[in-house]
Amino acid sequence: MAPTSSLLLRVVISSLVSTPGWTLLSDWTQTSSSAPLEPHFTDCVSREQETFRCWWSPGIFQNLSSPGDLRVFYLKKESLSSEWKECPEYIHSNRECFFDRNHTAIWITYCMQLRSQNTRYINEDDCFTVENIVRPDPPVSLNWTLLNVSPSGLSYDVVVIWTPPPSADVRVGWMRIEYEVQYREINTTNWEALEVQPYTKQTIYGLHVGKEYEVHIRCKMQGFSKYGDFSDSIFIQVTDIVTEEPLMFILVLVLGIVGVLILIMLIAITQQHRLMMILLPPVPAPKIKGIDSELLKKGKLDDLNFFLNGGGFGGLPPYAPEFYHDEPWVEFIEVEAEDRDGGGKDDSLTSDTQMLLGLTQTGCHHINLGCSNALGFPNNNLGQTSCYDPAVLEANSLMLMGSLLPGQPEEEEEEEKEAASFNDIKRCPTSAESDENKHNPVQPTWINTDFYAQVSNVMPSGGVVLSPGQHVRTQESSSTTEEETRKKENIIETEEKKQTKLLVVNPEGNGYTVENIRSPPPSTSVSPTEYQTVEPSPMSRSHGNQSANIVPDPPRCQIFTPVADYTVVQELDSHRSLILQPPPPPPPPQQSLPSCVPLKVPIGYITPDLLGSLSP
Amino acid sequence: FLVSVCVVWLLCVSVMLCSVCTAPVCTNAQVGCHAVSLNNLFDRIIQHSAKMHRVSNDLHQQFELHVLPSRNQVGRGGHICHTSTIMTPNGKENAQRMAREGLTQVILQLLMAWTDPLMNLHHSSTNVSVDMSSMVGELRRGVQRLAEKMHTLGLLTDPDSSVVSPEALMTSHPVPWRLMNLYDILYCFRRDSNKVHNYLRILKCRIVPEHGC
Repeated sequence: MAPTSSLLLRVVISSLVSTPGWTLLSDWTQTSSSAPLEPHFTDCVSREQETFRCWWSPGIFQNLSSPGDLRVFYLKKESLSSEWKECPEYIHSNRECFFDRNHTAIWITYCMQLRSQNTRYINEDDCFTVENIVRPDPPVSLNWTLLNVSPSGLSYDVVVIWTPPPSADVRVGWMRIEYEVQYREINTTNWEALEVQPYTKQTIYGLHVGKEYEVHIRCKMQGFSKYGDFSDSIFIQVTDIVTEEPLMFILVLVLGIVGVLILIMLIAITQQHRLMMILLPPVPAPKIKGIDSELLKKGKLDDLNFFLNGGGFGGLPPYAPEFYHDEPWVEFIEVEAEDRDGGGKDDSLTSDTQMLLGLTQTGCHHINLGCSNALGFPNNNLGQTSCYDPAVLEANSLMLMGSLLPGQPEEEEEEEKEAASFNDIKRCPTSAESDENKHNPVQPTWINTDFYAQVSNVMPSGGVVLSPGQHVRTQESSSTTEEETRKKENIIETEEKKQTKLLVVNPEGNGYTVENIRSPPPSTSVSPTEYQTVEPSPMSRSHGNQSANIVPDPPRCQIFTPVADYTVVQELDSHRSLILQPPPPPPPPQQSLPSCVPLKVPIGYITPDLLGSLSP
Repeated sequence: FLVSVCVVWLLCVSVMLCSVCTAPVCTNAQVGCHAVSLNNLFDRIIQHSAKMHRVSNDLHQQFELHVLPSRNQVGRGGHICHTSTIMTPNGKENAQRMAREGLTQVILQLLMAWTDPLMNLHHSSTNVSVDMSSMVGELRRGVQRLAEKMHTLGLLTDPDSSVVSPEALMTSHPVPWRLMNLYDILYCFRRDSNKVHNYLRILKCRIVPEHGC
C-alpha cells in the first residue's frame, strides 16, 4: 500500500487537471502511436446512456473484411460466472454492433472481443462501463435574440437559446448535461469557447455590428469528460442598428431641458423682486392715511405738509366748512410738542390754549426756526399738524413775498410766514410777534382760556379760528361786518388764487391789528394777487408800534364782554364765511382799566369778536 | 440617530441568526429552526452528491494518469467491488420501475457501505488529505433526513421498505473491503458515487420535478 499511497499522494497533490477519460476507445488515437494491424474495435459510444454501439475494423487483414468473418463477443461482468456472448445486433454495413436497452447495463463492466473463425483477436481487452462512454447528442433548436446594443451602436449582445438533445432523457433526471457554446466570426479559424454550464441559454457579449458570427454547441455529461458532436451552426448578424434616432431623441431632450433651465433662471433673475415678494412678503408697516413714508424718508417736508393739509387727493380731506357747519363742535385741536411752560411769563395765565395758540416764546422760536419737525408735534386725533414750518408753504408764495417786500427781509419774511401760515390753525407766532411778546409780555386776557377753546370760525382752507375769549367778544362783534367784508374779499382772493388752502381769515390779522390801532389801509388796497403782502406793509410801517397782537383801542379800553368759549355758527354767508351767533349778553363789566392792557392776539389769529372790534 | 443605529444592528443580527437558523436541516421539529422544503433538501443533497462524484472522479483520473500510464496493464474489468451484492438497478427503466422506498434504501445502503472503507483509507494513508468518508457521512445523513421527511409527508407509503439497518447490509458483502487495493477502491467508489447521484436525481425528478429536471 505504501507505494500506492505515495502515488496517491502525487495524485492528490497534483491539480485536478481534466484529462481524457480512461475508457479505452477514447484515447485510442491519442495514446497508441501505432495503429494495431489486427482487427480491433475502433470505438464504442453511447448516446443516451441506455444503448451503445461498437465499431470494429479488420485492420490489414482484408480477407476478414467481409461480413461474418469477424464476430463480436462481449462479456458482461455482472457476476463471477458470466460468459462471453455474441453481439445482439450486427450492422455489417457499418461494422457496428448495437446493444439495445435490454442488453445495456449501466455501471457494469463490458469487455469486447473480436473473433474470427479460427482465432480470437483479443488484442485489446477493451473493457468499459457504459456511463463512461456516453457522448450526448448535440442540442437542437438553436436560436438567438438581441439582448442590447451599446450606446455607440457598434457592438451588441445576444442570447442564444436551445433545447436539450431529444435522445437524452433529462426530464427524469437520468442524464445531466452540460453545454459548451462556441462562436467565431465567419471566415476565421479560431473558435471562442464559452464556459461550460448546465443551462439551455447563453449570452454572448461584445459582438460587432456588421459582422456575421457562427455559433455551435456541444454537450457532455456532468461529471464526465466526453463531449458529443457539435450542433449545426447558427449565424448571427446585426447589420444596421438604428441608433440615430435614439441619439437625436436624446439630443433634443437634452437641449429642451437645458432651454427650460435657462428660462427658469431668467425668470428667477428678472422677477427676483416679485419672487421675493411672493416668498417673503413684506411685513406690513403701520401707515397713516395720507402720509407717505417715502416722503418722510426723503425729508420732503413740503410735500408732506402739502399732503397733510389736504393738498393732494391722497391727503387729508379738506376741511371745507360745509362739511362741518352742521356740527358746531368741530374743532381741530393742535398741541404743541414743546414744553408747555416755555416762555410763559404769566405762569398763572399759561394754559393749554396758550399752548395751542403757540404764544409761548420758546415754542414760537422753535416753531419759527425749524418747524421742519412739524410732525413732531403731538397731533390731535385729526392728524393735523400743530405747527409747520412756513417754509413748507409753496415756494411761489414765499418767493413772491420775498420779492415784494424789500427791507428787513427777515422780519418781513417772518411776517409773511406768519401771514401765510394760515393753512393751519396753529399759526406760529413769528419772531415779530415773539418780539412783540418780548415787548409786551402780557398776554391778552382772552387767552386765559382752557385747553379746549371754542372754535369761532372755520376757514375754507380748513383752519379754525378759536374764540379769543370773553374779553374780545365785544370788540369783535362791533367790527364784525367790516372785517367780514374784508375777510370775504380776502377769502375770495385766496380762494381764487390759491389751490392750497390758505386761511384767508387771518392775514388780516395784521391788517386788523393795524386797523384797530392805526387804521391801516385796507388790505384790499394792496394788489389782490399778493394777498399775503397786505399785511406786511402795514406791519412794516407800524412795526415798532405795532404789535402782532390785536390791541384794542387804548382810549376805548373797552371791556370785552366775556364770550362763551363755544360759539354756535348761525349760518354760512355767501362767501362761505361763518356767521356766528351773537354772544350772550356779557356780564357787567368788571373793571375799567385806565390803561388797558392791549390785548394780544397773535397775528393772523382772528376771531369774529375781534373782527367786530377792529372795524374802522 | 442612536436609535436608528440600534435598530439596524438588531436587524442585521436577526438576519444573520435567521440565516444560520435556516442553514442546517432540522430534525424532530427542532424549536427555532426553520424547516427546509423538500425541494430545497433534494437540491442540497444532489449538489452534495455531485460534488462527491466529482471528487471521486478526479481522484481516479489522477491515479490512472500518474500511476497507470498504460491503461491496459491492469485488468480493467477485474474490479470487484464490495458493493456488488447490493441489488441496484442497472438501467433507467429498472430505476424508474423501482419504488421510491426501494430507491431510497439502495442509496442509503450504498452510502453506508462506503463510510468505513473511506475512513480507513483516510486514516491509514497519511497522504490522502481529502477525507471522503466525511463527505459520504454527510450525504448519508442528508439522505436519511430526506427519507424521514418523505415518510412524514406520506410519500413513502410502502411499509415493507423501511430503512434497513446498516448492520444487515454490511454483513452481506462478498468481498471484504479490506482486501481491496487502492485502485479498486477508487474505481469502485467512483462508480458508486455515480450510482448514488443518478438515483437521487431520478428520485427528485419523480417527487419534485419542478426545478432542474
